[in-house]
Amino acid sequence: MPPAALRVRNLTKRFALGASTVTAVDDVSFTVNGGEFFTMVGASGCGKTTTLRMIAGLESPTSGEITVDGRDFMAIPPQQRNIGMVFQSYALFPHLTIFENVAYGLRPRATPRAEVDRRVAATLALLQLESFAQRHPAELSGGQQQRVSIARALIYEPTMLLLDEPLANLDAKLRVMMRDELRTLQRRLGITTLYVTHDQEEATAVSDRIAVFNLGRLVQLGTPAAIYSQPQTLFVADFIGRANFLPARLDDRALPSSGATFGNGARLRPAQTMTLPDNEARTLASADDCVVMIRPEQLLLDATAGDIPCRVQRIQLLGGLLRYTVEAPVSATPILVEVTRAPAGVAEGGEARLSIPASDAILYRR
Amino acid sequence: MSDALALRSTGRDWGPWVLGGAVVLIAVVFLIYPLTNAMLLAFVKNGEEPGWATLTFANFARFFTALSYQRALWNSIYSGLLATMLATALALPMAYAVARVELPFRGLLSAMSVVPLISPPFIGAYAWIILLGRNGTITQFVHQWTGVTLPVIYGPPGVILALTLSYFPYVFLIVQGALAAADPHIEEAARMAGASRARIIRTITLPLAWPAIAASMLIVFIKAIGDFGVPSILGGEFQVLPTLIYYQIHGYFNLNAAAAIAAVNVLLTLLAMLLLGWVNRKRTHATVGGTSRAAVRFASPGARAAGILYCWALLFIAILPQLVIALASFADRWPGTMLPESYTLEHYRRVGALLLQPIVNSVVLAGVATVMCIAFGTVTGYASARGRMRARWALDITIMLPFVLPGLVIGVAYLIAFNSGPLVLTGTALILVLAYFTRRVAFVFRTVTAAISQIDPKLEDASTICGATWGMTMRHVLVPLVAPAVLSGAILVFSTLIGELSATVLLYSAQWKTISIAIYELVLGDQLAEASAIGTITTLLTLALVLLASRLVGKNMADLFR
Repeated sequence: MPPAALRVRNLTKRFALGASTVTAVDDVSFTVNGGEFFTMVGASGCGKTTTLRMIAGLESPTSGEITVDGRDFMAIPPQQRNIGMVFQSYALFPHLTIFENVAYGLRPRATPRAEVDRRVAATLALLQLESFAQRHPAELSGGQQQRVSIARALIYEPTMLLLDEPLANLDAKLRVMMRDELRTLQRRLGITTLYVTHDQEEATAVSDRIAVFNLGRLVQLGTPAAIYSQPQTLFVADFIGRANFLPARLDDRALPSSGATFGNGARLRPAQTMTLPDNEARTLASADDCVVMIRPEQLLLDATAGDIPCRVQRIQLLGGLLRYTVEAPVSATPILVEVTRAPAGVAEGGEARLSIPASDAILYRR
Repeated sequence: MSDALALRSTGRDWGPWVLGGAVVLIAVVFLIYPLTNAMLLAFVKNGEEPGWATLTFANFARFFTALSYQRALWNSIYSGLLATMLATALALPMAYAVARVELPFRGLLSAMSVVPLISPPFIGAYAWIILLGRNGTITQFVHQWTGVTLPVIYGPPGVILALTLSYFPYVFLIVQGALAAADPHIEEAARMAGASRARIIRTITLPLAWPAIAASMLIVFIKAIGDFGVPSILGGEFQVLPTLIYYQIHGYFNLNAAAAIAAVNVLLTLLAMLLLGWVNRKRTHATVGGTSRAAVRFASPGARAAGILYCWALLFIAILPQLVIALASFADRWPGTMLPESYTLEHYRRVGALLLQPIVNSVVLAGVATVMCIAFGTVTGYASARGRMRARWALDITIMLPFVLPGLVIGVAYLIAFNSGPLVLTGTALILVLAYFTRRVAFVFRTVTAAISQIDPKLEDASTICGATWGMTMRHVLVPLVAPAVLSGAILVFSTLIGELSATVLLYSAQWKTISIAIYELVLGDQLAEASAIGTITTLLTLALVLLASRLVGKNMADLFR
């Protein structure tokens, strides 16, 4: 059986909150291909978890369509959707042993006893849990509990795997380890996977494609690389990765080759083209206010070369890279510059020069 | 500045020792002494002094020789067990419905379920006579329309019915609270794994709620076997241990026999508690919480209709006694018809003059007892929650034991301890106050323990580091923080004491007659309309006080009883 493909169309969920209604999910549409690792990312309350829970059937949509391989999914009660789900709190059954927890999904499927034993053993082995079969959840560490909840979700060979912030309760190091393990497992099984997280780094690290949510809407959908390099809105640019936002004024209407002038009079001259991803930005007129977005690693810092004078406030060593926090007249807030090799002659508290490669910068309407 | 600090640090902090000493003294004189004394007297023949020479098991031997004793013991056990099982069977569906089905007025349902707990059970018992007695409304009605004569309400059926409906809210409130607090993701995980609703209830919901179910069943059982009002009004020839104690004292003034029966009653209570501990030992599970998401409730029309119908029907039946009493208090003539034939305010007028003294008595006695509960309960609650006492378990038992023991047992213990010897209190107001205090201090103790365990102990450390003495820390930091909890516990104490009957009935004297005694006498004297009028006033007063308490702590009324 080929992995299932999921299609969500015009999905909307409204909650009554006292006298008013809150739109938790607002007209969301997307398609998840068979075998894809698809991640919904956004701040808390952005609608990503509600969307996931509607796909699971735990929440019913106000309007919209959910289909799997062309079949209407919403007519099927959740216990018959054959979905595996992993919860943030793991939701392990505290009164059952690990064996019984993992075997749980086989019981409603009337599996013969010998088959249950065989499959539980195989699934426990897959997640390196063989030695814990007779323990109770409370006797396991967070990482082990996490594995049990994945085992419980996978044992009945579900058509899809849904994960709701599965790594949020783990410590930083374990989180990175588990997410790689999860990705490897997903590749190996080829199961269609929907993942929800608030952590953009986690999202970009594991996903085939990412859906960025904000205030109930899906604001951008794409591969991690595309979303990082071509954020469609200021929100996405800010949410995914680090970014500097420099207020400026557009020189003239002749976009996309127009330049922009910063507050202090410094000019941004495009060598070839400027990127204008935002729909609204295309309507920018001459002399309109705009925002220039540039990633920290795209900025160039040098002791002498560069058009913008700046002053180095702080230098931080972050693992393999160096982060410079500089003050420049083009921005009221400090600008971040990230490099892998320290530029000669630039010291904390000293003067330096900054240049903004116009081909990397992206313009947004202010 | 350094001088002041130096002075403080050299002065010994006597606060905890003085208070601790007072607590131990009170505990010994008014809790431990009466109870052990009563237990001692159970091993001595009537009129003899306790000692090795006079030691005898004669008082207990009657449980093997006298038929009335055997019957009472057996009746207590089986009516208690049946009432417990029925109450659980009735309450569990309601608890599940309120926790898991989208019902309108869920808050009101929980709040109303408190009514049977705060109105004195014997009022309910007597209402069942109006409804199901030989000339009762329902009895007559059924006979007229179907020709069927309902079984007589007096005896085991009536007692079990009244006990069940009086105490099932404990099961409902405690189990519903547990279901609502459980991590909703656990049931959702079972659902995603393909389990049907029924399978989830059987394999997940019930096993996880078991500790709460068992604990609430224990409470119902303890309350049922300790209840005096219901069997004394509805029992007829049906004797249980508390009524047996009462007749040993009022019929024969045989304190030793009463003490022995009380000891057996205590033994039953302790056995039930041991059984619960044994059952629970292997089955309690720390819930792996960590979410604020409330459980998704079923909103299907079928589930909602069934839930609404079941919950309100059960609640209606449980509150029916109170409604009947209210109606009866305004009834001029009510000769077995569906509703009274005419109404009057006469009962209230007559009762007004008759009642002033009992009301004043009840308020004074309950008020003084409440103040004592506040003082003692707060200090001991603090000691227990902060764990600065090595004998914490002893303190917990000393306070919780009188709380779970039947009121008549406390009554007997007090009669024996303070009838003669160093401290003679029989016939005084003080003995009532002390018995009330002993029976109810656990309310304040429990709310304070709960409140203090929520407060970060570092607050006290911070106060001490700033140079405050223990007394200053208590006065300025802790007391203001736990004040709402103390107040709500105190109101609960006061409101439930207004209707206290089972200890009062042994300890009151003519000049300290309380409301509950006044009602009891009116019921026994067949002045039912007047009894109804007082009963209605008492229930309303209590309800208003409990409502006030819930407002003060900003909690649901139902939370106060969990």
